[in-house]
Amino acid sequence: MNRTESQDELYQNVAQEYGEALARMVYAYEADAELRRDLSQEIHLALWRSLAKFNGRCSLRTWVYRVAHNVATSHVVRQAKGRSVGTFLTLEEAEAQAGIEDVEDSADRAQALGRLFTLIQQLDPLDRQVIMAYLEGLDAESIAEITGLTAANVWSKIHRVKNVLVRRFHRGDRNAL
Amino acid sequence: MPCDELPDGLKTLWKEAGMHGQVFLPGQLRMEAEKLRASLRRTYLIVSVGYSTAVATYAFIIFNLHYLHNTLMLLGSGLAMLAFGYLVIESLAKRARALPDLGETDGLRFYRSELERKRDWHRGLPWRLQMVLVPLILVGLGAAQMLAEISTFFALVILSWAAFVLVVIGIWGPVKHRRVARKYQDRINALDSAVRTAKIGS
Repeated sequence: MNRTESQDELYQNVAQEYGEALARMVYAYEADAELRRDLSQEIHLALWRSLAKFNGRCSLRTWVYRVAHNVATSHVVRQAKGRSVGTFLTLEEAEAQAGIEDVEDSADRAQALGRLFTLIQQLDPLDRQVIMAYLEGLDAESIAEITGLTAANVWSKIHRVKNVLVRRFHRGDRNAL
Repeated sequence: MPCDELPDGLKTLWKEAGMHGQVFLPGQLRMEAEKLRASLRRTYLIVSVGYSTAVATYAFIIFNLHYLHNTLMLLGSGLAMLAFGYLVIESLAKRARALPDLGETDGLRFYRSELERKRDWHRGLPWRLQMVLVPLILVGLGAAQMLAEISTFFALVILSWAAFVLVVIGIWGPVKHRRVARKYQDRINALDSAVRTAKIGS
């Protein structure tokens, strides 16, 4: 099998295995439907191109998540255009704001999910990576490998992520979850 | 449901989001990659044609100024050409720089480098604007001097244009871009401080 064929096959396997996770990721990075389509295509294109260089020094999962998050981060920074880069919330800021937010009671899972995506879209890109990897069920070591943070740093962020989620969702989603 | 269990409930909800994973055909992706390359080639072509046109215009101006003997306009247009040439070469060199390998670069390093890139662009812009401003003002003053001999009104129009250019490019532009650069720097500082704090705490 030549290099191009193996790259194509690897891409198709990756897209099958991580396609849903990538779609959720795109949704959480971009609120606008048209830009979401562009971002999704950009991620898949970058993934396909990068797989030609995949050398096995890290796991395929780490590689896929790194490529996808890096493309999405670039997209977010590009879209922010400086004006709103200062308005990204760090987890600490989100934690501080969570207490004062008046969340309406809601039994609707779709609404809860919508709020979750909105919350993630407000966060700083690096914190988005941690929160999404956490929601995908990755452990702290894997998240550390993807993000470049130390495992301790990831643990601390996950702790904050949990705090933010609990505070923001415990009233509204009591019945929904 | 008790609060402690909610994040796990959210994990389930997150996974149930019902997203359909997209799978593109490699042929489609190849076509997209080719489109991107074509668009890059187009940009190079536009820049090159633009630069050639500017050189031709400059030659025309020099030819005319040889008869007009207006030193300010001659100096201004010469400096404008030098500044423009420098900016074109700089922008082409920047485009050719190696991008970090997406799969090899972790999220923190990539995000930081994106913020630095944007900060540096906004930091460098006021200086680039000054490079363009000086020649423009010289050309404006030269034109006003030349026109004053024919009509005071037109000379005043040119002078007000020069003043407007001075305010927009010399004052408003740099202030705006320095402010944006500071925002990116603040974000970088916050990122570094969060990482440092976590390292100390661990």
